[in-house]
Amino acid sequence: MTTPATHTVPIPAEAEKKAAASPLELADLSVMIGGQGGDGTLTVSDLLGRYFLKRGLFVYTSRNVLSRIRGGHADATVRASRDPTAAVKAQVDVLLAFDREAIDMGREELAPHGFVLYDSTGFRSELPNAAGFPFATLVGGPLGQPIFKNTAAYGALSVLFGFDPAMTRAVIEERFKRRGGEALEKNLRALEIGRATAASNGIAHRFSVVDGDGHDLILTTGNQAVALGFVVGGGRFFAGYPITPATEIMEYLQRYLPAFDGVVRQAEDELAAINMVLGAAYAGARAMTSTSGPGLSLMTEGIGQAGTAELPVLIADCQRAGPSTGQPTRHEQSDLSHLANLGHGEYPRFILAPSDPVDCFGMTIDALNLADRWRLPVILLLDQALCQNTTTSKRFDLSGATVDRGKRLTPEAVANLAQYKVYQLTDDGVSPVAPPGTPGVWSEVTGNEHDEWGHVSVNPTNRRNMMRKRMEKMVRARDELPAGRLFGPASARIGLVGFGSTSGPILEAQQLLERKGVATRYYQARTVYPVPVHELDPFLKGVDTAYVIEHNYTGQFGRLLRETMPWHHAKLAPVLRYDGYSFRAPEIVARVTEGR
Amino acid sequence: MTTQSAKPVQPIWCPGCGDFGVLAAVKRAAANLKIPVHDLVLVGGIGCSGSIHNFLEVNGIHALHGRLLAQAVGIKLANPKLTVVAAGGDGDGYAIGMGHFMHAFKKNASVLYIVMNNETYGLTKGQASPTSQVGFEGNVEPPFHSILTALSIPASNFIARTFSGDPKGMTAILEEALTFNRDGRGFAFVEDLSPCVTYNDTYKLWREKTVDVSKLPGYDPTDRKAMFRLFLEQIEAGKMPVGVMHRPAEVSREGLETKLLGDRPGPAATSTDLASNRTRYEELLATVG
Repeated sequence: MTTPATHTVPIPAEAEKKAAASPLELADLSVMIGGQGGDGTLTVSDLLGRYFLKRGLFVYTSRNVLSRIRGGHADATVRASRDPTAAVKAQVDVLLAFDREAIDMGREELAPHGFVLYDSTGFRSELPNAAGFPFATLVGGPLGQPIFKNTAAYGALSVLFGFDPAMTRAVIEERFKRRGGEALEKNLRALEIGRATAASNGIAHRFSVVDGDGHDLILTTGNQAVALGFVVGGGRFFAGYPITPATEIMEYLQRYLPAFDGVVRQAEDELAAINMVLGAAYAGARAMTSTSGPGLSLMTEGIGQAGTAELPVLIADCQRAGPSTGQPTRHEQSDLSHLANLGHGEYPRFILAPSDPVDCFGMTIDALNLADRWRLPVILLLDQALCQNTTTSKRFDLSGATVDRGKRLTPEAVANLAQYKVYQLTDDGVSPVAPPGTPGVWSEVTGNEHDEWGHVSVNPTNRRNMMRKRMEKMVRARDELPAGRLFGPASARIGLVGFGSTSGPILEAQQLLERKGVATRYYQARTVYPVPVHELDPFLKGVDTAYVIEHNYTGQFGRLLRETMPWHHAKLAPVLRYDGYSFRAPEIVARVTEGR
Repeated sequence: MTTQSAKPVQPIWCPGCGDFGVLAAVKRAAANLKIPVHDLVLVGGIGCSGSIHNFLEVNGIHALHGRLLAQAVGIKLANPKLTVVAAGGDGDGYAIGMGHFMHAFKKNASVLYIVMNNETYGLTKGQASPTSQVGFEGNVEPPFHSILTALSIPASNFIARTFSGDPKGMTAILEEALTFNRDGRGFAFVEDLSPCVTYNDTYKLWREKTVDVSKLPGYDPTDRKAMFRLFLEQIEAGKMPVGVMHRPAEVSREGLETKLLGDRPGPAATSTDLASNRTRYEELLATVG
């Protein structure tokens, strides 16, 4: 393959000599891929992720895209590390840029040893540590379309990193086998064009990738894990409305559920989605919807009905930057206050916050069990980074899974009852329920205040009894709700508190701090509402300061902690980020060391 | 031993309310078709008419304002064996619930939707509704005609209109609608003209204005175009047409639940336990990554 010399910008000779001497070995590396939406940045990120996975490395990819189909700056980063990681690396080792804007945006994050590989079809970069090839032109001729430039660029990267050629190719085969035939063949040719161009134009094996010892890992996202957890947890009915960053849950379930006699419906709006779910839950199905901020606002009335009518429903809230339409593709954790106080009036709800895909899988099953066991709405509090960033994960398995339908009455049990009261007052506030269609009985279910039979009632004694029946569930369920996790020595006097995807950068920061001789103890909340005071009170007693690290402006979890444990008020220090990007570990380190 | 379930309560309606006619007709139609009480679900809307499920021995769920169709479809898709009737008023269905109303025809789940149209908001004391005549309580907007909208959506639905002053005719139509549903043929919509004796007492007027469409020349309920024209001509002439407005010529199982599930049990009845699904779950999980 010959390259049009006018378009090729080879590596400066000096840099080349240094690189040839010995490749820089990276046990924790980060590649950023930037360009315009539609350039295929996410594809390159996916290809690299698959390659590093094959090398036994832990992978974390994040995306930075706009809410549009084509155009506008988009970038993705892939991190690969010998140690488990669930955070974006603060510095980028290699930047792959499809346009000048991508270089301008990415160079700030480039490490001192960093290198830029770019598509020189339209411009030349003056950076000393950069090499440009006209990938679009190179593939455009032989393959008929410039879109294969991303695969060619992946080929060039594989030379830069000294990838194993067979493994590099296997990744392409894996990625495109489902599309088959022409797509696979053209991508393989683009790969070879990229490799040949790089090799014949002075791109040497500049960085070296170590092998990891991660075995039998998968690449997945929180959204996929939630969908799988829903199926395994006995979820059989889903209704939703497309919304970023929640849509993939619906799309995965459209693939998975029909084989299990399940039903997935894309509703006309979020009002219909939550109400279809209420209907299905009333009929006895395990039912869920997923949404994000704007959809959640629309579903609020329906979730209130689930609380009062005592219908077991699951709502996955994939938080994005709000309010209003906000920043649809950007990360935030700013729905917590809204969810804790969701809707008019008062009713019980549990809000669970998984932190990684394994947690997403297991806690979706927990959430389904809790909804049935306590007959109320359960909310899975997710966030954009958790939902959409691809990460290596242990395989999901059935070892910890159970399916508990709570006090659901069988037809035999119903037949032995003298009376069937759908809202019967019981010791734990949970009434045994038989779904419609159970022979011999029927019931009245309503969001109006009601008596034990489900008849509308304004009797004040009944009102007090029914309010207590429902509200005390939040107290009685305490020991059944997912427990938080503690990391770091119990003797540490500095506390860290966080939830959701923020756990990734917090755990990395904890290690960095440890290397500086700063001991910290991290409490990862997994039930965020009702606030697990029985866990947090002793935790906070054990530290002098607790940094509450979250992605919002007002410190929403910190405020909940102050409200429930005012005696710890002075210890709580907010660490907040609300610019649409997730925390990088060094900024948490800086905040903690500043504060000492 | 017989298990005692919730007993019906006394209707909250004013004496003479048109909704009593619907209550009686639903009861009679269900009895005539021998639908077991435990298999019948009544989804009530918000408003006077939406409390109908409290007055029958039946499974009842009181939906949110305007959302009864979404809940009814959720119930039917979760357990297709149930006979599902959604019943509410014109405000509930044609104002706050309009989005779901339009989509119900398109979705075509086999549920029956009865709208008790009294051309006013009775429970909140007589405001204008989407079907109110111009001049009623200062209303300046022309009334909405649900039958024209229903006929405009080309889907395999059963569409009819009844009058509370003719309980026999209503019972016959409800029986046909319920049979249409129970055969899995799709969505059935029945608008009942149900006078509000307190805020819009129209019995006498409506008795004069109602006209049985089946007696009109050119009546063919399998022909949407003909029925649209017929209905429009009648209302332009100041009449209130009642009867079957659309009945698909082809007898086929077009219901959404049938399209999605065939004869399989559906989400509420299928197995959810780990033991019986373990192998299939393991196969699914092995596909990840």
